[in-house]
Parts: sequence; structure tokens; C-alpha cells
Amino acid sequence: MTARDVARVGLVVFTFVVVQETLMLDIRIDGVHPDIMVLLPIAAGVIGGASRGATMGFWAGLVSDLFLPTPFGLSALVGCLVGFGVGQATVALNRSSAWLLVVSAVAGSAAYEVTYALLGSVLGQPQMIHVDLVAIVLVVSLTNALLAVPAVRMVGWALPAASAEGMPGPANAPGVLR
Amino acid sequence: MAKPRRSRRPRTTLIILVLVSITIITLDARGGLDRVTSGMRSVAEDVFSPIRSGVDGIVQPIGSFLAGSVHYGAVRQQNQKLEAENGRLRAQIAGQADAAQALQQLKQLSALDDLPYYANLQLVPAEVIDYDSSDFAATIDIDVGRDQGATLDMPVVGEGGLIGQIVQANANTSTVRMITDGQSKVGARYGTGSLALLNGQGADQPLTASYVPPNTPVADGDIFTTSGLQGALFPPGIPVARVETTRTGTTSSEESVTLAPLADLDHLRYVSVVLWGPQS
Repeated sequence: MTARDVARVGLVVFTFVVVQETLMLDIRIDGVHPDIMVLLPIAAGVIGGASRGATMGFWAGLVSDLFLPTPFGLSALVGCLVGFGVGQATVALNRSSAWLLVVSAVAGSAAYEVTYALLGSVLGQPQMIHVDLVAIVLVVSLTNALLAVPAVRMVGWALPAASAEGMPGPANAPGVLR
Repeated sequence: MAKPRRSRRPRTTLIILVLVSITIITLDARGGLDRVTSGMRSVAEDVFSPIRSGVDGIVQPIGSFLAGSVHYGAVRQQNQKLEAENGRLRAQIAGQADAAQALQQLKQLSALDDLPYYANLQLVPAEVIDYDSSDFAATIDIDVGRDQGATLDMPVVGEGGLIGQIVQANANTSTVRMITDGQSKVGARYGTGSLALLNGQGADQPLTASYVPPNTPVADGDIFTTSGLQGALFPPGIPVARVETTRTGTTSSEESVTLAPLADLDHLRYVSVVLWGPQS
């Protein structure tokens, strides 16, 4: 990645943080905040594959951890796992399909929240699995499904032409999903 | 025929990132990165605080405008007038109720100064500016920070009793972990001075008490207050919670006690930071 790419990724992550820490914290559905930071590794995984999904998940997670009272590094760990998982799961699929984005957002968000709660409880925060996990999964997954397409467009603008992690054909060509 | 080779790069990247994450989590949990992460969180909050205020200032009028546009085409003119009048009156009533509630909290907060357990404590009033920044923790953000004298671990009290303690002190804001959070543990006294530990179970969940021997005479409605033992995180005598249920199991070595926080943690508006530390 060039310095320009890094600056673009930084700008997108910053934008997501601003939206999360302002608009999203004001929204409460059944007592749960939407979490659009989860969309970053998912979008990067769909666009750039497992490696970029994991890397985006790690850095976006570290930034999220700055604003959360939960253990520092936990969002980074779960983010890189989810980004990698989404990248691997979509490697052989047509990544330009809008349905794939929505399904990836729902499944990735659900996996993120469940993994976050489980790993948190393993890491000495047992209360994290005693929350209303079903409500959290539903709210975060559904709001991220609605926001998946614009999120992928933003991440697609930031990431350089998608690398070929086993992705043949035009679905991987520069400009897809932009 | 040779099989196509799959790139190992994604797995290598993942393994490295997972190891780095686990290292960060471990160092943070053991206190090795405590100052670094606390400093970074503080800087991030200080940077974002004005951004948050600015964005809120921009977004709220837009939201009001959009709401008005949606309603414009939906009803006839006369209905609009009636609804507007109705809305104005409702807003007036809601505003009065809101102001009354705020006034009541402020009065009760100032009344705390006269209670014996606050007699020698210095309090800094604060307004609650945000609830639960994470869905996995019970926290509030308040508009008092280091510049107003608040530091890490200071107790926060409100209408009714103990609210929690500061877990992140920024320049002008702080994050308070409430007593219901799963990480919260409060040393407490009850009855004739017996000691117990009150554990949070998560937002909207009752507290539980540890170290209460079986058949201890604890009755529903009994009040638990902070113990104030040497080195305790809270000064002595602050009311914390009221007993809701007690049960003695046939094989249990402890009485099972659940308690409700005395402070109304769901409707906090004004609280006070107690300028107190274990060394005080």
C-alpha cells in the first residue's frame, strides 16, 4: 500500500469512528447501540480478501478499543478474526453481488458479537455473556445489513485495487463495488 | 497434475495479528500497558469530545427538519395546526416534567451534603452526558474530568447512594463504571457490621452478595453500605443497595442474597464525584 492508500484508509476509519461515536451512540434500539465499526473488517474482507479483512479488522478494532470500557485489544482480536473469516468465506463467490454484501454483513456482525462476548468472558469479563446477546446480535446485524452497501463503497474507495487472493475474473477487478 | 498452491499469506497475517492482539490484551490485563492504554484512551476522548459536540449541533437541526418534512405532507392543514398546538402543549408539559425531575435530582443531590457519610468528603457535581458506550458494560460518561479534580478510581454518588467509580478520567469528562457492571465489586457492611462483597451482574441485573454465611439474619429491605476498610476503594458508610431476596441452599456454604441498587441507575442526570482515594 502507498502512503495515499494508508491516508485514505485512515480517513475512512476516522469517518466511521465519528459516525459511531456521535450518531450511533445516540441511537438505541431495545437498549442496544448499532455498531458500524464491525462493517470495516467485513467490507475489507469482501473487497480485498482474507488478509486485508484481517488487517482492517485489527486496526479498526484497536481504534474502537480506545472508546470502549472492555479489555483493550479485544475488538482488534475479534475484528481480525471476522475480517479473515469473511474474506475466506467469500473467496470463491461473486463479490460484486449486493446480496453477498448484505448476507456477509449479517453473518459477519452476528459472528463478531458472539465471538466478542465469548472471548470477553474467557478473558475475565464473565458478565459479557450474561447480556441480552440475542438483542445485540439482531440490532447490530440488521443495522449493518442496511448500511452494508455504502460501507463497502467507502472501503472500496480507500483500499487499492483488490488483491487476487485466489479470486479470478472480473469480480476482483479494480472498480468493482465502487 | 500439480495442485494449485494456495497462498499462505492470509493465514500468516492472521496468526501475526492474533498474536499481537493477545499480547496487547495480556499486557493490558496485567497492568503492563495500563498507563499507555489509559493515556491513549484519554487523548482519544479529549480529541473526540469537541467533535461529538460539533456533530451533535449539526445533526440535531437536520433531524428536526427531516421530521418536520415527513409530517408536512402527511396531514391536512387544520390537523397540522391542531397537532402543532398539541405538540407544543405536550412539549411544554414534558419540559416542565423534565425540569422538575432535574430539579428534584439536584435537590436530592445537594441534600446528600447534609448526610453523615458525606460529612467530611468533598463532592464535585457532574452531569451525565452519555449512557453505556458499550453494549457489554454498564457505564456512564460525566462532564467532570481531571481539570475538575477527578482521577481514576474515585467514587461517584447520586440520588440514593453509590453509583460507581471512575475508570477513565479525561481532561473534562470521565467514564464511570456503575455498581451493576459485571466487573464491579464493592466491599460492604450490613446488619451489626458484618462484611460482604457486592458483585455487579450486568446492567439492569440485581447485585449479588458474597461471603454472607448461611442462616445469617438478613431480611428483605436491609441496607448494605460501603465498608471503608483500610485500602478499600470507597469511603465508609455510603448506602449501596437494598436486599431483595435471600435464600439458604441445602448444601451451599453461603447465603444467596440479591440486592437492588439504591440509586436509580436508569435515570441518572446529576451525580457527584467524591474527591477521595484509598489513601485519603
